[in-house]
Amino acid sequence: MFDNNVFVENSCHNIIKDGKITGFEMGTYITYYRGIPLSMVNDIRVEVDGEKVPRENILFSADGEDWFTLEEMTTVTTYKWEYDQVAHILVKKDGGLSKGIHGVKLAVITRTAYIPVPLEGEKMRQVVIE
Amino acid sequence: MSRIKTCVSLYSLQDQYMRHKMSLEDIFGFVSENNIQGIEILPDQMIHKAPHPDESTLQQWDSLINKYHLTPVCDDIFLNTNLYLNRELTKKECAELIIEEIKLANRLGFRLIRLVSMVPYHIIEPVLLYAEKYDVTLALEVHAGLGLDVPKTQEFIKEMIRINSPYIGLVMDASLFCRKLPRVMSEYCIHFGLNPKLVEYMDNIFEKNSDFRQVCLANNNTWPDEVKELAKSDIDKFFVNFAEGYENLSYSIMDEYMPYIKHFHFKLYEMTDEGEEYSIDYKSLIQYLHDHNYDHYVSTEYEGNRWVLPGHPIEEKKHVLSHQKMIHKYIKQIEG
Repeated sequence: MFDNNVFVENSCHNIIKDGKITGFEMGTYITYYRGIPLSMVNDIRVEVDGEKVPRENILFSADGEDWFTLEEMTTVTTYKWEYDQVAHILVKKDGGLSKGIHGVKLAVITRTAYIPVPLEGEKMRQVVIE
Repeated sequence: MSRIKTCVSLYSLQDQYMRHKMSLEDIFGFVSENNIQGIEILPDQMIHKAPHPDESTLQQWDSLINKYHLTPVCDDIFLNTNLYLNRELTKKECAELIIEEIKLANRLGFRLIRLVSMVPYHIIEPVLLYAEKYDVTLALEVHAGLGLDVPKTQEFIKEMIRINSPYIGLVMDASLFCRKLPRVMSEYCIHFGLNPKLVEYMDNIFEKNSDFRQVCLANNNTWPDEVKELAKSDIDKFFVNFAEGYENLSYSIMDEYMPYIKHFHFKLYEMTDEGEEYSIDYKSLIQYLHDHNYDHYVSTEYEGNRWVLPGHPIEEKKHVLSHQKMIHKYIKQIEG
């Protein structure tokens, strides 16, 4: 239902820091129809070529400025992920994604007070790294 | 002169807003140029940092309301009782959050707040003074799947009757009165591999003037064995779960609550080529409201957007305008 909100097309790219590729990043809209504090994002899951990325290697930022681990996010109530805001998902990985085509899957899971099950959306994209 | 007034929930245009195809001003312009005067919004959707937006956001709101001559009708708010993973908010925390929402509603020019379903009854008493002071009525949404039979709704209604204030009431949602399961939902699930026998099963229940929620309630609040047999895959279970969100109730369930009903969500899943909503018989619903002296707004709330097949455009503007045209036609016929 919210799958179409997940993983903005052409948003996945490697991140270069001090001349080194330190990971890769992708953009996504929220799997809900309203903005919520970051503490209500239950989980973010990333798979690359069928292999799950360890949860602790994933960082999240709603504004692209302040970053949180998923564990830290459980207490973040002062930052909001707005409905029309493309959030940044950063995966820490030395060398990032290698050159070639990768199947990258992103899942975003939020929770809400009045629906008993979390709201999940996921999208797999073929990502080309040149 | 019609007593039933109409407005549009900007929720209907959410996808245009999220993907930056339409700004808030574009949406106001669209509403205004189609002679729609009233609007309903979700601040959490279209007002950044709600319930504490920046001054510049508030000024922009004021200028758009003035420029397009729109009336703020209903402010849809939520209560994040599960803000933290390890505990529920306390009663005081809940009340404080609602008070902030009341202040924002007043600032934006709303006189009515729609409380999302499942908001606990205990907020009523501590926030009542603020509702009066800021002249904002609080009304709980009664939605299919979260309707009158749900304990939290019952608790709220009991407290609403005990308090008996004009500032506390209900918002009804027309999802309670579906005469057919929305086919856009069935078709969406079929696309993802749903067992078609489940669609036949559900359609059959509606044809017998019932719905899946009533079937479950009569079966100790569980799925009948027949459904458990048919629902094997994830998409099957998803479909069955969502089928409970469309009820087929008699309008008479509203009889005793009419004095408390402050607003009505006129749900829209799909407008047919004949200009009717596929699942809901709005002519008879408007007739019921007229016969019971309803004199508040009815609000177009397009929700077919979530069932649009991948790769297909969401035609929310077309559906909203067709829905408004239908509502106006029936109000004119019935109220003159």
